[in-house]
Amino acid sequence: MDISRYEDHGQFCSGHAACGGCVEALTMRVILNEIGPDAVGVVAPSCTAVILGGYPTSSARIPFIHGLIETAAAMGTGVKRGLAAQGKGDTTVVCFAGDGGTYDIGIQALSSAAERNEDILYVCFDNEGYMNTGGQKSSSTPHGAATGSTPLGKATVKKNLIEIMAAHRIPYIATASPSHLADLAAKVRKARAIRGMKVLIVVIPCLPGWGVADDSAVRVARLAVESGVFPLLEVEDGVTWRIASDKTRPIDAYLAGQKRYRHLSDGEREALQAEVDAGFARLKALEAINPG
Amino acid sequence: MNKQALSPLWTHLTSEGNRTGTWRAALPRYQDQPSPCLGACPVSGRIATWIGHVEDGDLRAAWEVLSDNNPFPAIAGRICHHPCETACNRAQLDETVSICALERHVGDAALAAGWGFAAGPERGVSVAVIGGGPAGLSAAYQLRRAGIAVTLYEAREALGGLMRYGIPSYRLAREVLEGEIARITAMGIDLRLGAGVEDAAALEALAEAHDAVFLATGASLPKRLPGLDYEAGFVVDSAAFLAAPESEQKAMTGAHVLVIGGGSAAMDVARTARRLGRRVTVMTLEPEGRLPAQQVELEEAAEEGVAFITGAMLKAAEGGETVTIAAVRVTFKPGETRGQFSVNEITDSAFTLACDTIIPAIGQDADLARWGTVLGTDGPVVGRRAGRIRAGGDVASMERFVTHAIGMGKEAAREIIAELAPDAPLSAPLPGPLVEYARINTAYHPGHPRARQPSAPLPKRLESFAEVQQPLPAEAARREAERCFSCGTCIHCDNCYLYCPDMAITRLFPGYEVKTDYCKGCGLCVAECPTGAIHMREDTP
Ligand SMILES: Cc1cc2nc3c(=O)[nH]c(=O)nc-3n(C[C@H](O)[C@H](O)[C@H](O)COP(=O)(O)OP(=O)(O)OC[C@H]3O[C@@H](n4cnc5c(N)ncnc54)[C@H](O)[C@@H]3O)c2cc1C
Ligand SMILES: Cc1ncc(C[n+]2csc(CCOP(=O)(O)OP(=O)(O)O)c2C)c(N)n1
Ligand code: SF4
Ligand code: SF4
Ligand code: SF4
Ligand SMILES: [Mg+2]
Repeated sequence: MDISRYEDHGQFCSGHAACGGCVEALTMRVILNEIGPDAVGVVAPSCTAVILGGYPTSSARIPFIHGLIETAAAMGTGVKRGLAAQGKGDTTVVCFAGDGGTYDIGIQALSSAAERNEDILYVCFDNEGYMNTGGQKSSSTPHGAATGSTPLGKATVKKNLIEIMAAHRIPYIATASPSHLADLAAKVRKARAIRGMKVLIVVIPCLPGWGVADDSAVRVARLAVESGVFPLLEVEDGVTWRIASDKTRPIDAYLAGQKRYRHLSDGEREALQAEVDAGFARLKALEAINPG
Repeated sequence: MNKQALSPLWTHLTSEGNRTGTWRAALPRYQDQPSPCLGACPVSGRIATWIGHVEDGDLRAAWEVLSDNNPFPAIAGRICHHPCETACNRAQLDETVSICALERHVGDAALAAGWGFAAGPERGVSVAVIGGGPAGLSAAYQLRRAGIAVTLYEAREALGGLMRYGIPSYRLAREVLEGEIARITAMGIDLRLGAGVEDAAALEALAEAHDAVFLATGASLPKRLPGLDYEAGFVVDSAAFLAAPESEQKAMTGAHVLVIGGGSAAMDVARTARRLGRRVTVMTLEPEGRLPAQQVELEEAAEEGVAFITGAMLKAAEGGETVTIAAVRVTFKPGETRGQFSVNEITDSAFTLACDTIIPAIGQDADLARWGTVLGTDGPVVGRRAGRIRAGGDVASMERFVTHAIGMGKEAAREIIAELAPDAPLSAPLPGPLVEYARINTAYHPGHPRARQPSAPLPKRLESFAEVQQPLPAEAARREAERCFSCGTCIHCDNCYLYCPDMAITRLFPGYEVKTDYCKGCGLCVAECPTGAIHMREDTP
């Protein structure tokens, strides 16, 4: 099947600590294999950090520096500049962080690295909450979703990181999904070839955090794409928007697959549908301004 | 200086030492399973497999899989009632796969290329097959493949049974029939044409002379319509009419033909008469929408100008200058079993009708009396056997279809082979329950409308007995094959391997293996399988 094809070169190892069925591990598998051996990683505290390994073992074949949750982009900056100073400017530097470490706690470091157009690939594993610490809300948690700290559903909308990053006019921003693995691999490949700041945001349905069955995270991610909740898109230089996925179904099936939305009333569901419709229409409008 | 060794700054082991397999409660298992189309197919054809070969453009491989169960794909691809399509999982997504048209595509390619069958190494045992219709020929084919000698006794001068003497050539071109029969006789069969086996004594003599007998004489006794004098000159037997050459058919019929019956045979009589230039009316007991003929036959008959009087019963017929029919309107109630029904006359609904010829086509019964007590008397039973004698096809079943006959011939032959030549290779049936629609991940099967076979243009149809249904163009056939979900058949797409977050699946080229050391039992591989060829089973290490 062409939509799932990618190459595995053994860059990510079995025996890691991710929950069974976790698609964060799956996307790490695709990304690390696409990046290859000539790379150095940094990672903020997050599920990703746990999956990468408890000392003294690692599930990645490339070296990773585990740092503070505020500092993923700053660490990446330093590592990249250090490598460049040693004449190793071609080595890829990749930053892994969760949404808490990106939208909230690490946004200062991320914004300034973006403003300086550092030559790093920043990957945000967006599971829409502080999941590794038990499932609290982050500013990425969507409107209406229940978390440990918003048991009745979050009152405010998800922060729009894509537009924030686009406002920095960095060379490349993309979204990706574990339901579209070939697309994910292609975006990593493309990002590696671009000099300057690249941000990749991957949707990660979290099994316990979202209340998703062990075998269903790919299906839920696919529904997120197909319902327009999480469109697959690319933004070049902050101004050229390309929306690659269509909105082909209502959000009902997407919501129904997750316990975090189970408390919603019909009216709340309709309101969420209207928000998704408006968000998708806005993306199409941005695409129309400068179709590239 | 502190002599104590410093712990290294970086990790020095991979995670592969952690046996995460201990976490699991279930383990995936690769297991091809039967598709619903296979379950419904009277010959149990490996449809998912051969359609896969069509998709790959390998028609030779497709034909080999097909003809393992059915030596007549070009025939079945034209006239099978295709219950497979009714059962097809794809119908729950958009429309059923055009299995029958694809079967014809493969069958025609095999005839065009001249591919043939090989007989198995001779086993020194022999079987008498009585009747050279689809049931008898199917059995003969399977027996020859296993190296069993076959003597085939056929009452008529040519093989094919009702495929030759019933089904008209506008539905089944004669060169197709000849081609698929010749391929079987070329396997080396001792053919006895014009050699009817007349009675119980002759049957018992054959059972003595051979190691087994397969009886497939069809159903040759026409059911009789009360109220009709079958000796009258204006009454023509439908079987005799369909079996006659065109010139005789003309002599048998007047300008306006009344056909009684609503099944396939009645449609064949009606449409044949239209091709002879006759005006044709069909009268049925069943109301509109309940006629037993296939929908496409009814539609094509109507297109060809056949008139229908449904929900009506003939009471009497009077000859003269023209024939006058007395009839009455009825309500129709189907019975418990196929072919049974009851009718009630509607009061004050009598009517009359004028015509020149009446052709009743209301079905045939098996001539069982001929065999005395040799077969037993418990009515027609599938695979009826009596000692070394087995029976199959119309003589032994009320499922009066060509592919049922082929399937029963195959099954009887397999039983005989297992008994007489136990070393001969027999393909094993797929185990397990039919694959349900819920097991298909439809994300990998984009919506695409079903390919439809073109029909010959209408005015031309009535000018000859040339085939009405036209083949699918090659590219349309390949695209139609792509629509098949391959239910229960691994297509080696690698999805299970690619979606495992734990790298717990190894590719074996061909096939796959689960690494029990690492599999956490999440079931993602199963959920993302497009075909349902893998499933979870309980497993605690
Ligand atoms: C007009 C018509 C149209 C039909 N259309 C379709 C259709 O579109 N699709 C479909 O699936 N089915 C159709 N059928 C039904 C189908 O033709 C039969 O179910 C099928 O042919 C049965 O196969 P068989 O081998 O059991 O019997 P038959 O085809 O009847 O063959 C029996 C053979 O045995 C021979 N025989 C009989 N008695 C003796 C004897 N004593 N000794 C030696 N030989 C003997 C006969 O001559 C004949 O060759 C149709 C039937 C009719 C009548
Ligand atoms: C400043 C700071 N506060 C809190 C923590 C504790 N902490 C570690 S991981 C984590 C959750 C991070 O959430 P996110 O970045 O979304 O990653 P996820 O666990 O969801 O993968 C938290 C709160 C920390 N490491 N540093
Ligand atoms: S989709 Fe293919 S394998 Fe499945 S039932 Fe239909 S024809 Fe058979
Ligand atoms: S996806 Fe991997 S870990 Fe999950 S059940 Fe399949 S083989 Fe096991
Ligand atoms: S996912 Fe693909 S390769 Fe794996 S079992 Fe299913 S069909 Fe076969
Ligand atoms: Mg998170």
